[in-house]
Amino acid sequence: MKFFKSDTNEQRVEMLKNVPIFHDLTSKEILEVDELLHERVYEPDEIIFEEGDQGHGVFIIISGKVRVDPCHKLLKTANLEFGPGELVGELTLFDEAPRTATVVAIERTVTVALFQAEFSSLLTKNKSIGVKVLNEIARILSRRTRQLLLQEKHCPSV
Amino acid sequence: MRTFPQPGAITLLATILSTCLLLFLFQKIIWLIVPLLLALMLYYCLRPVVAALVIRGVRHKTAAQFVWLLLQLITIAIFFEMVLLVPAKTGTWQSDFGRYLAGGQNLLKKTAETLEQMVPIFKSMKLDEQVDLLAQQFTDRFNGRNLLPFALQLLKFLPSLLLIPYITYFMLNDSTRLKKYIIKSVPNAFFEKSLLLFSRLDASLLNYFQGLILLTLLDTACLAGGLEMLGITNAIWLGLASAVLAWIPYLGSVIACIGVVIVAATDFPDKYWVAYACLVLFLCVRTLDDFIFVPLTIGRKLHIHPVLSILMLFLGAMVAGAAGLILALPLFGVVAVICETASQVVTDRRLKTRYRATRQLVSSQGSI
Repeated sequence: MKFFKSDTNEQRVEMLKNVPIFHDLTSKEILEVDELLHERVYEPDEIIFEEGDQGHGVFIIISGKVRVDPCHKLLKTANLEFGPGELVGELTLFDEAPRTATVVAIERTVTVALFQAEFSSLLTKNKSIGVKVLNEIARILSRRTRQLLLQEKHCPSV
Repeated sequence: MRTFPQPGAITLLATILSTCLLLFLFQKIIWLIVPLLLALMLYYCLRPVVAALVIRGVRHKTAAQFVWLLLQLITIAIFFEMVLLVPAKTGTWQSDFGRYLAGGQNLLKKTAETLEQMVPIFKSMKLDEQVDLLAQQFTDRFNGRNLLPFALQLLKFLPSLLLIPYITYFMLNDSTRLKKYIIKSVPNAFFEKSLLLFSRLDASLLNYFQGLILLTLLDTACLAGGLEMLGITNAIWLGLASAVLAWIPYLGSVIACIGVVIVAATDFPDKYWVAYACLVLFLCVRTLDDFIFVPLTIGRKLHIHPVLSILMLFLGAMVAGAAGLILALPLFGVVAVICETASQVVTDRRLKTRYRATRQLVSSQGSI
């Protein structure tokens, strides 16, 4: 017996399959992860999170577009618009720390949020799924770090 | 439990009023509230069992069903045991009740006599006669009473206990969905902080209930061991009952102590030192609880100021009678944590400003 269900399973699987961090998961595994995700809809110009907020999770963009307004000089020159399938706020998934930038929805944006508590329970209870998701997040993090390092190389003033 | 910042006066007032309102409503559905509270406790105690099964490869739903089945079997066994035991034992309980009342009365009389001999002022006050009169009045009130209506009341309450496994199963199986459902109703501005506080609250409750069970086991071991050494009959059951009664703050320990002292006084009518030794044992276990066991198991408990505790006990008794007296403090603890958490979210200026801005944004977009 299932309570508190909204969309059908097929719709949810289809929606989440398009997100890179869930690419490697089977439909059954996606449904298990879906139990832990919190869906939120943001209107244009609505703040998703603000710099200095106590962050503890990552927002995955399902549809729409968001803009990142960083205070850090290094990030100001970077491409700071993110669309479907991309993540924002991933740093705080591993370390409960203040957010380093403000993220605002440019258009109507649907996100799913995965928070530390749920992610930890996924890693403990279902290691195979947890490792796949963790692997993808690590890949995204290293790609972004590399981009930043390359940017710094060409930006001696920073 | 994790300590939250001290509540403000408005939060405190809201907590007291909410508790009174809930007590008033709960007295009508006490048959549901008691199983609900017990199921909540079982949920937190059995959640690690389900998690352990899931880690070993069992599906979450199957693990929850397995735990539910075990719980259901235990509940049914207790239910039938009680159904058979209560009618059969009512007669014996009736005579035992009178015997224990007389035992308690004798202990009081003996204590008053001893005090008169030791302190002359008590002799001039005729303490012996006064205590005897009071004890007689108390005994007369209960001695003539038939325990059968009470036993029938107990039997009437038993079927609601069958709800415990079902509620526990629902919590074990659907707690994540329930949490998502509740969080869904929170506006975007408060979403992340609410979820963070929700997770902390959940972790605190998990530690609290698991700690409470461990504390109960430690208390049972100490009390049962002590009572056994003193030669009290049914030491283990008395120890367990006393440890469970201690879940009710202040009142529970006092009731348990009086009960055990009366049993000791009845079992050893010529050795009153045994009853006093029981009293000392309770005080020792209480001290061990406060200084060693509680910090080891529950950590820092949810602190309720003693004055506030007494006020809540009076209010509870006034609003909902005996049930209110028992439920007042546990309920106050739960309501206090919820109110403090909610107040932390809604009083965050930064989040409030963001919430207002979002509302303006949505209304301006709607008017375009």
